Amino acid sequence: MTQNELHNQQLVKEAEIAAMQYHTRRHFIKESAMGLGALALGYLFDGCGSKSTAADNSLFDAANPLAPKPPMFPGKAKSVIFIHMAGAPSQLELFSYKPELSKLDGQDCPQSLLEGKKFAFIRGVPKMLGPQAAFKQYGQSGMWLSDNLPHLSTVVDEIAMLQAVTTDQFNHAPAQLLMHSGSARQGRPSMGSWVTYGLGSENKNLPGFVVLTSGGNNPDAGKAIWGSGFLPSVYQGVQCRSEGDPVLFIKDPNGMDRDIRKASIEAINKINQDEYTEYKDPEILSRIAQYEMAYKMQVSVPEVMNISDEPAYIHEMYGTKPGEANFANNVLLARKLVEKGVRFVQLFDWGWDTHGDSANAAIEVGLINKCRSVDKPITALLLDLKQRGLLDETLVVWGAEFGRTPMRENRDGKTMPFKGRDHHGEAFSMWMAGGGIKGGITYGETDEIGYSIVNGKTEAFDIQATILNQLGFDHEKLTYESQGRPFRLTDVYGKVIREIIA
Amino acid sequence: MAATLYFLLPNKNKIDFNAQVKPIFNKKCISCHGGVKQQSNYSLLFREEALKKAKSGKYPIIPGDAAHSELVRRIKETDAEERMPYKHESLSEDEIAILEQWINEGAVWGTHWAYVPVQQPAIPDEKNSWIKNDVDKFIYKKLAEEKLQPSAEADKATLLRRVSLDLTGLPPDENIAKKFLNDNTASAYNNLVDDLLASAAYGERWTSLWLDLARYADTKGYESDQGRSIWKYRDWLINAFNSDKPYNDFLIEQLAGDLLPNPDDATYIATAFHRNSLTNDEGGTDNEEFRTAAVMDRVNTTWSALMGTTFNCVQCHSHPYDPFKHDEYYKFMAFFNNSRDEDTEADYPLLRQYSNEKDSARFVQLMDWLNKNVSPKEAKEQYDFLKTWQPTVNALRCDEFVNAAMTGWLTEIRNYGSCRLKDISLDGCTEFTVQFVSIHNTGQLEIYIDSLNTKPYKIIKAWATTKGWDFATVPFGPIAGKHNLYFKYVNTTIKPEHENGILMQWFRFANPFPGKEKAGYAAAKNLFDSLMRSNPETTPIMMENPSNMQRTSNVFERGNWMVKGKEVMPDVPHILNAFPEGAAKNRLGLAMWLTDKKNPLVARTMVNRLWEQLFGTGIAETLEDLGTQGIPPTHKELLDYLAWKFMNDDNWSIKKLLKEIVLSATYRQDSKINEALLKKDPNNKFYARGPRVRLSAEQLRDQGLQVSNLLSRKMYGMPVMPFQPEGIWHNPYNDAKWKMSEGEDMYRRAVYTYWKRTSPYPSMITFDGAQRTVCVIRRINTNTPLQALTALNDSAYLVMARGLALRMQQLTGKDVKTQIEKGYEAMMYKAISDAKLNALMELYNISLAKYKRDNKAASEILGDKNKPANAETAAMVVVANAMLNTDEWLNKN
Repeated sequence: MTQNELHNQQLVKEAEIAAMQYHTRRHFIKESAMGLGALALGYLFDGCGSKSTAADNSLFDAANPLAPKPPMFPGKAKSVIFIHMAGAPSQLELFSYKPELSKLDGQDCPQSLLEGKKFAFIRGVPKMLGPQAAFKQYGQSGMWLSDNLPHLSTVVDEIAMLQAVTTDQFNHAPAQLLMHSGSARQGRPSMGSWVTYGLGSENKNLPGFVVLTSGGNNPDAGKAIWGSGFLPSVYQGVQCRSEGDPVLFIKDPNGMDRDIRKASIEAINKINQDEYTEYKDPEILSRIAQYEMAYKMQVSVPEVMNISDEPAYIHEMYGTKPGEANFANNVLLARKLVEKGVRFVQLFDWGWDTHGDSANAAIEVGLINKCRSVDKPITALLLDLKQRGLLDETLVVWGAEFGRTPMRENRDGKTMPFKGRDHHGEAFSMWMAGGGIKGGITYGETDEIGYSIVNGKTEAFDIQATILNQLGFDHEKLTYESQGRPFRLTDVYGKVIREIIA
Repeated sequence: MAATLYFLLPNKNKIDFNAQVKPIFNKKCISCHGGVKQQSNYSLLFREEALKKAKSGKYPIIPGDAAHSELVRRIKETDAEERMPYKHESLSEDEIAILEQWINEGAVWGTHWAYVPVQQPAIPDEKNSWIKNDVDKFIYKKLAEEKLQPSAEADKATLLRRVSLDLTGLPPDENIAKKFLNDNTASAYNNLVDDLLASAAYGERWTSLWLDLARYADTKGYESDQGRSIWKYRDWLINAFNSDKPYNDFLIEQLAGDLLPNPDDATYIATAFHRNSLTNDEGGTDNEEFRTAAVMDRVNTTWSALMGTTFNCVQCHSHPYDPFKHDEYYKFMAFFNNSRDEDTEADYPLLRQYSNEKDSARFVQLMDWLNKNVSPKEAKEQYDFLKTWQPTVNALRCDEFVNAAMTGWLTEIRNYGSCRLKDISLDGCTEFTVQFVSIHNTGQLEIYIDSLNTKPYKIIKAWATTKGWDFATVPFGPIAGKHNLYFKYVNTTIKPEHENGILMQWFRFANPFPGKEKAGYAAAKNLFDSLMRSNPETTPIMMENPSNMQRTSNVFERGNWMVKGKEVMPDVPHILNAFPEGAAKNRLGLAMWLTDKKNPLVARTMVNRLWEQLFGTGIAETLEDLGTQGIPPTHKELLDYLAWKFMNDDNWSIKKLLKEIVLSATYRQDSKINEALLKKDPNNKFYARGPRVRLSAEQLRDQGLQVSNLLSRKMYGMPVMPFQPEGIWHNPYNDAKWKMSEGEDMYRRAVYTYWKRTSPYPSMITFDGAQRTVCVIRRINTNTPLQALTALNDSAYLVMARGLALRMQQLTGKDVKTQIEKGYEAMMYKAISDAKLNALMELYNISLAKYKRDNKAASEILGDKNKPANAETAAMVVVANAMLNTDEWLNKN
């Protein structure tokens, strides 16, 4: 079935129940005047028996696409916060302790490591680069961690560390796409879209899938990594901003109060209803629904996006500065959003591409600064979720599109001004916490220089399968029919990482 | 559906490979036995591969003998280890029967319809009073088969708005609208279409479409996304569409205008089509890597935009489904691999347009002298060089830096430092020029041939360049053959070694300015020098490497540009039309191949695209893929009929093609749906009703500005920056700011809005515009709350509401009801229904009561806090805001 046909099939369904909705809908705003924003469109349809009977794509109900739906089996997690360090931090200065690599520092890289390999920037024979951070063991688990992450060291027992993650993509954009959509090319739905398709949203007045970027650049792969691909566009991530209007144009114009806005939406929808009576185009009903949703979002979004009302100790804990577009603010927002029932929050930080071609991109300068800016808020998130009793049901994932080489980058075969490492997909580190994940455990192992995987190999598909599993989905069964075949997030791959599940 | 099933069943008729066999292969076999994987060394992509022995030593297909064909045995096998498809659901009995019959019939391969040249199809012999032209005969035939009735013609008002938005992207001008509405003759609609096609707005509307395909933007993309001045290409498009440049010339000029005899500024600017690829200015990136990326982007864009084919799959392996081989990608890429651009930050080569009065007069005067006094070849050399600064060698080709460095795309040599310029062909060179800057009035640039350990071959005295880049020229050679040149900077008056000496941008190896012995030489040379140093407007263009600077082209193993496989020469895929006889194997020859009437894809792709623009869906829905994985056309004969007519009868005229379609009864139908029709044909595949499609982001903005009397009809020029909220632009290493345009530039058509790749204009993106980092084949319309918020609250839209409110008040007397009626009529050209009028009156009254109580709010909604507000006008702004948000306004009916 083509995208168009699919869309229209949904619309037909909608048209069929239009008559039923009509009387109720006309009075939607009037009836909900006692608690505007509280009355969801979906509420009106509950019990209409409008659930799709189609064999596939059955989780999509055009009339109420974001209604909360039960998972396939009881999941441990209700929501996910995926924290992505775009650019790809060096695992060798954060999580992957490789004392043997120190001994090789400055020596030529053995030919055996270079044969048949391709690198983004390394040319000829590079030198090995020893770890540029001191490592110690922390917590009851004795997890190794570098001194770049002093705060995180206090919560290692909450974390399941994946030490042998791998990807076959070594450029940023395709690798980011693979991590978030299961395909290195554009056009597949992102993980957040799959999750909101499968589970709907607990909060009817907020988008089910929110994206926050910490100022500066968007991720390399652009908006495609929160796109809905062939899933209905209602499942695409909504990018919220932490300065200015949280969502563009969410504020009514000056001089227009809520009463007038309410009256104007009501007038627009009456006119559209009249248009529908004449043309019977189901798309008109969608338009009516979207104007209703917009009206509700105008109240709910600014509320949840305002962090200035948080108590001082919370600001202290996260290191937040209200009004700025920074990572710490976004981490706090992520907590607020999952607290309000948002299913999937994707956080992007940027500036982790430490090639060593400038101070900002140097292992010995830029990386340390980046760590400082994220260490405290990420730790605060885990502690804060825990103190609110939310960590059990919120899965936090930390990672990037790939890792970095144990060799020092020698762009164009030359020594570079700063210490840097090239892109390395073969082995890198990610971690998960909360949402039914075992704490204080390390899974997977790389060789003594962190170049290749020894055991516990984990692919993006496995991480995706595990995330879906924690939410209560069999990743092989959450499918959507498009262009004549069923698609799933994990393509034809993926296995749940049972070893890290509590 | 019934028809499809029928086709899939075996029957007494001969099996049709394309309709019956290929779909089975694509769905069940090709993922393991095709372009990507070839399990057991066996592939079903091409016949010659499929008839080969597999690894097992057996022949899977023996033509004429299904019983002994291993393929048949394996698909019928019951042992799971043996049965194909391995570990997947077995083929159905019908599918097995189809394959058996097909093998018995000789296993004949067929060519997919889209790869067969367009033939003139017979026009169906349908007769009916509904039919207006040949398009309708194709449509009616299918409708009759489906037992559907076409709809009647839409009312005049609806038709007026529909065709006007479709052809010009705008509601009609008042005079055109009046003329049509008052014309009750049979030719009224025909005249309307002619008026619209002749209006200047036509070119702007179709340019918006082409800019998506050309991935046009006003910035270079990637990390820092700096600005790029390439808007003259947009203006070239507007003129090309308005003058109805035949589509074949339109493509030839864009792909190879530089290779046409005596290109002028316009033909050069046309080639900016392929200079809209990204340039990476990020420090430390490999210029060759991103040059290669740009070349590949040009290949992919050429295929997807002009030939509806996803060719980029072939980058890494033979196409998994379509008959394109891995090395054919690189042969095709070789056509594009010899353009002069090298990912320099300056975006060379640039066309230098001497457009200010002084420069333009100088240029005319100089060319005049040259044409009279030197050979045409010499004159042309000077012309080309002044216009393009080509051929020159970019300093980014330098290497072996000693106390020197590459800064971005420039070479910097410190005191006593040196660098090498490798493999320079010096044949025929008698003069050397370097473009440089320096801050020292002392110091010299020494040039060595082949080794630094010799005497300098030339010494150039450098000077402090006070006005930016300057040029130093010395006699040079003659020296035969290729040599390595070394440059060294020496300055005895500055002490520290690390102090910057000289920064170089490019080198020229050529001959001195000609005509030394002729009268007026000195004056002419002065003109030349002053034009060299002038700072004219520039546009990035395509130019070809001269013969002594050609790059070789190779296959990239698995698509990896660093692993070069065998060398290839330019060529086109074997499955398509042959390369035109006598055409050069360069971009110009390629453009001729594309626009050859035997090319099966180019005309079909364009016809399909124009149809999609008018009806919302293409005749083949997947504009991006007419191949075997695309969705088959609903009316293939119609597609071919239009493609044939476009190329032959209409001589590639886009206006004629559009006219034929919009004059059809099919297009003119009412777009109302009834329940039976919605059930029977929800997607309007059979066209029993007219199109009803949401307007594009550009159309939405333009019509809003038009109806509120704000729209500026100023054409052409630099991109403009209308209102945009704060804090949208975010790029590192880039302090460019959105600086709001002034006066009428705030209200120009959307096609003139500045397009920043990493951060396009928000309302464009919200209404499904694209980033334009790569070619955008079609926009998929969505319907989201963010769109509602934009049309309700974006300041740009609020300003329109104010304009419309004032207009309504001016259209008639004080009666509010009449004002709304008149306003609605101005928008929709017809009378408002009672239900709609009542809804708006109610809104007006609620708002009026509020603004009478709250004068401050009234001032604010009117946009001027300091002016005493008129509550009536304030209330009318709210009404206008609502009217501009109605579904019928956002759509064309």
